[in-house]
Amino acid sequence: HSLCSVSLGVEGMTCGSCVQSIEQRIGSLHGVIHIKVSLEQKNATVIFDSSHQSPESLSEAIEDMGFESSLPACST
Amino acid sequence: MTKHEFEVAMTCEGCSGAVTRILNKLGDVKFEIDLPKKLVWIESDKDVDVLMTALQKSGKEVKYNGTK
Repeated sequence: HSLCSVSLGVEGMTCGSCVQSIEQRIGSLHGVIHIKVSLEQKNATVIFDSSHQSPESLSEAIEDMGFESSLPACST
Repeated sequence: MTKHEFEVAMTCEGCSGAVTRILNKLGDVKFEIDLPKKLVWIESDKDVDVLMTALQKSGKEVKYNGTK
């Protein structure tokens, strides 16, 4: 397994409930080890298994939920 | 077109904004959101299941209240 950590920009969250639903939904995706969403910094830091997820797939999953997500480079 | 009423556990404008974007992406629907009442009215010819699945993508609890 190769773990990867990525920090995705997330726009459109305004309260703790938005944060929670993202953490729950993305956190339950296959290959996601840990997720921390910050309302203040408007981002989501995700640690994931790169054989199951990619920064693109995670960003897509966030956009699927109705938030805007921007893609950074992946750092291991 | 049929008007469906859904109850979605939205708590803030971020939540309703997310629902708005999901429905916009779905296309071919007319909708109205009442945030204080946590209600979403959708006018569409799509199946209830399709609308339900789309709303559930928001990660929030969704209940179907029937047609209006």
